[in-house]
Amino acid sequence: MTVLTPEPTAGPASSRTGRSISSATLLRSGLMPVLLVLELIVFGVLSKEFFTAGNLSDLVVNSGDLALIAAGMTLVIMLSGIDVSVGPMLGVLTWGVATMTGAGLSPWVVVLTTVAAGALLGAVNGTVIVVGGVAPIIATLGMAAVYQTVLFLLWGSRDLFTGPVVPLLSGQKALGVPLMVIPILLVFVVLAYVLKMRRFGRHIYAIGNDATGARLLGVSVGRVTFGAYVLLGALVGLASMIYVGRVGVVQSNSGSELTLAAIAAVVVGGTSILGGQGGVVRTLGGLLFIAVLQKGIVLVGVPALWSGVMVGAAVALAVSVDVITRRQVDRRERGNR
Amino acid sequence: MTAPTHRPTAATPPGAPASRPAGRPGSALFADRRVFLLALIVVVGAVMSLLSPYFLQVDNLLSMTQYGAVIGLLALGQALVILGGGGGIDLSIGSSLSLSGVFMGLLTQSAGLSPWLAAVLALVFGAFLGLINGILVGVIGIPPLIATLSTLYFYGSLANVITNGKQFGGFDRQGFSFLGQGAVAGVPVQVLLVLIPAFAIAAWAMKRTRSGQHTYEVGTSDRAAALVGVDVRRLRIGLYVLAGVLAAVGAVVTNSWLLTARPSAGTGFELQAITIAVLGGINIFGGRGHLSGVFLAVVLVVVVNTGLQLAGVGNSVQVGILGALLIVSVLLNRVIGPRGERP
Repeated sequence: MTVLTPEPTAGPASSRTGRSISSATLLRSGLMPVLLVLELIVFGVLSKEFFTAGNLSDLVVNSGDLALIAAGMTLVIMLSGIDVSVGPMLGVLTWGVATMTGAGLSPWVVVLTTVAAGALLGAVNGTVIVVGGVAPIIATLGMAAVYQTVLFLLWGSRDLFTGPVVPLLSGQKALGVPLMVIPILLVFVVLAYVLKMRRFGRHIYAIGNDATGARLLGVSVGRVTFGAYVLLGALVGLASMIYVGRVGVVQSNSGSELTLAAIAAVVVGGTSILGGQGGVVRTLGGLLFIAVLQKGIVLVGVPALWSGVMVGAAVALAVSVDVITRRQVDRRERGNR
Repeated sequence: MTAPTHRPTAATPPGAPASRPAGRPGSALFADRRVFLLALIVVVGAVMSLLSPYFLQVDNLLSMTQYGAVIGLLALGQALVILGGGGGIDLSIGSSLSLSGVFMGLLTQSAGLSPWLAAVLALVFGAFLGLINGILVGVIGIPPLIATLSTLYFYGSLANVITNGKQFGGFDRQGFSFLGQGAVAGVPVQVLLVLIPAFAIAAWAMKRTRSGQHTYEVGTSDRAAALVGVDVRRLRIGLYVLAGVLAAVGAVVTNSWLLTARPSAGTGFELQAITIAVLGGINIFGGRGHLSGVFLAVVLVVVVNTGLQLAGVGNSVQVGILGALLIVSVLLNRVIGPRGERP
């Protein structure tokens, strides 16, 4: 069972002390907090509005849906998989939310149905990938197109206007804090716990590091992978209700802007795209970094068109640092043996 | 039983079994993706022409192939990158087209350059965009999926920033529209003088030149290829540059055809390009597949899309059908492809 012991770089759970912390390792885990603080200082100085309570809670409300998707995406990427269908998938689910709300269904029925529907769509992705053996990028690229068309057909040139489903998944505030913070934090805490302490989570690390080895040790690779895609789907379902509350309208291309942003948050946070390393707390850091960047750019007065350029560059930079430092760590470990 | 014919002999990795069982009788012929595609094209074409008398008319065939030229060029670039293996894929290919097209528009409209000269510069620019991808993948070592995902973002947004949401023109000078709107003997210029030569040269190069053989070798096993002295990194960077150039060629053709450069010109094309490459029998893990198969897949997709258009099925629905086709074609690769192809 040695393969299931925590990854050295995975966080405080690491108790192996024999290895000294090198600059490369430090850079890997310390870069994001430093960049984030730096970013906050820069925008804080450049814009007076930045550190107002209103702006900060705006920040949370505007990226709540993204946070949930990115949390699920973290698990999938840790398995060295990917899901590029989450945006259109969310679009389809928002249509369901708006329609059910419009039909006057009880809010909690809408919540449960939507999460279940999301899990179902995730299961479709998981089936194509695990049972069909299709590479995750191909499978989800194809499904993204299918979901896009499904939404287009459901939409049928009729925009659906709707509001928040339940206060817990909306921007409504108590003591100045948006209520949606509660479910979002809950999801992150539970996932962090599962990844660190539960068998499912340890199996995800094991598979991401070495799928063949994990299989030989009796890890049910297919089932864990399938589970991760289902979980991601369910979280997309949850996110779709925040999205509806935030945007207020369902259109033919609803949600499509979220796919890349979610992957970017995970990768910028420092979860390795090569699988096996990372965690949801890092994703939260990456998420904040991107949200602050996008918001700050606007506040400072740079045209919003630039934000895509900045995010693209941030992703490339973050991944470059990840890959280069990982290579150095690997080389040194090999030298030590 | 000998190895199935569509497996290039040069790609057989050292140590691989010299012969494979062919499976069910008759499956050897059917296992060649090109036979399958050809049959499908004939069937779909026959059905379409029965359903709509308009289908086989000259001007319909003409407008059909005009659309196919651009997407065919992108599919060719995508196929080359995928063939090179190592998880090779270029998601930025559509954004590269948009950005190269906008760059060319900047030169013609704002700088007043001749469209022909601007086209040449756009090709160089496309090569540069491909080089950035190549460096991210080959030198820094970022997995291609993420490297080109970030440049998809980057190039696409840059195109938007440059145009500021508007579009560029200035292409309708010095007979430049001939490239995208002209026809020789009823065949659109961009098909006769751009798409077909591009595929012919590439197919020839893959078979007859050293770099072509090396691409199959590297795609099958980069470790083995490196051991026999192939510069894996340089070869893969070269493939990304080629994909960038082909995307720029697509941009030049688009600009000549539509006479405007829009920042969204290539949006979504990456999906179509990957779909066509995989449908054409290119193995997503590299090293296997024929460019002639990709060409047939271009023809098939064009025929299907045109048929759907005539049947009144909108563009948005075609996207979904293409997505489903992508998944089905990968599943097909596993079912009717030669055994041992499972990853």
